[in-house]
Amino acid sequence: MTGFPGSHGDTGERRRTSDAPVLITDLLDQETVQSIAQEAWSALVGDDEFLVPLPGGPPDDAVSSWVEIVGPWTGTVVLTCSRATAEELSRCLLGEHAPPVLDEEDIQDGLGELANVVGGNVKGVLPGPSVLGLPEVGNAPEAGAPADTCRVDLLWRGQSLTISVQGSAGAPLDQ
Amino acid sequence: MKILVADDSRVMRQIVIRTLRQAGYDDHDIVEAEDGADALAKVSSEKPDLVLSDWNMPNMTGIECLQAMRASGSAVPFGFVTSEGSPEMREKAATAGALFLIAKPFTEDTFKEHLDEVIA
Repeated sequence: MTGFPGSHGDTGERRRTSDAPVLITDLLDQETVQSIAQEAWSALVGDDEFLVPLPGGPPDDAVSSWVEIVGPWTGTVVLTCSRATAEELSRCLLGEHAPPVLDEEDIQDGLGELANVVGGNVKGVLPGPSVLGLPEVGNAPEAGAPADTCRVDLLWRGQSLTISVQGSAGAPLDQ
Repeated sequence: MKILVADDSRVMRQIVIRTLRQAGYDDHDIVEAEDGADALAKVSSEKPDLVLSDWNMPNMTGIECLQAMRASGSAVPFGFVTSEGSPEMREKAATAGALFLIAKPFTEDTFKEHLDEVIA
C-alpha cells in the first residue's frame, strides 16, 4: 500500500517556517558543555588537566578551531584560545612524540581535534539526525544571536579558553 | 600483529598509538593512514591484521573504506575510533561489518575492553 503521508504512523506534524526556531539554549546548558570538555581534557590532554569555569578575558592573539553541526539545530562548536595556549595543548596531546619546536600544522591539528571531539560529543546530546563537519582552524566564524549561543569561559593552566556552541550567523530567529 | 591506524589528524593517530601502548598492546607493528583512501590502499599493500579507523575523514570516510574492503572480499577485522558514537552510527558500523566503535575521548581501559578479544 502506498498511502498518503500520514497514513502509517506519521503524526502529520510538519515543521513550518513560521515555527519558532530551535535554539541551542533550549537544548544544552553550560554545565553540559563544560562536562563534555572536561572529559575530553582528562582523556586526551592529561589525567590531571582541569578546566576551571572562570573568565580569563579575550586573548590578544586568539586562534579558533570549530566543527559544524547540521541538523534540527545547525551551528558550530568553537574553541578559542591564544596561540600560545593552542601550542601548549598540542604539545600535551602529542606527549612524548612532540618535537622540540611544534610546526603550525601540528598546532592547528591539535586544536582542531579538540574541537572535533568536543563537537562530536555535543552533537551526541542534541536531537538528531545531525551531521558533523570536519574541523577547521582560523578566525572564529561569526556568532549568531545571543539567544542561540551557549558559551563557557574557562581557564586551563591559568590561560583563557572559550567554548561556544553557537547558531549560524544570519539564522532566521525573527520569523 | 600489524595494526593499521587511520585518522586524518596526525595528533590523533599519535594518541591512538600511545593508548594502544598504554593498554598493553606495545609489541605490535603500527602502520598509519591519513584518510580512508590511504587506509584502503594500505589494507592491500601492508596486509594489516586489524584496522582502527576514524569515521569522518576527507577523500574517503571510514565507513566508505570499510564498505569498499568488504565489497572487495577483505575480512580484515575493523573497528572505529571516532568522535561520534550515536546509536545510528553504531548500527551502521555493525551492519557494514565493524567489530566495535570506540567513541572519543577514550582511555586505555576502553581500548582493552574492545581489543582484548581481537588481539590475542
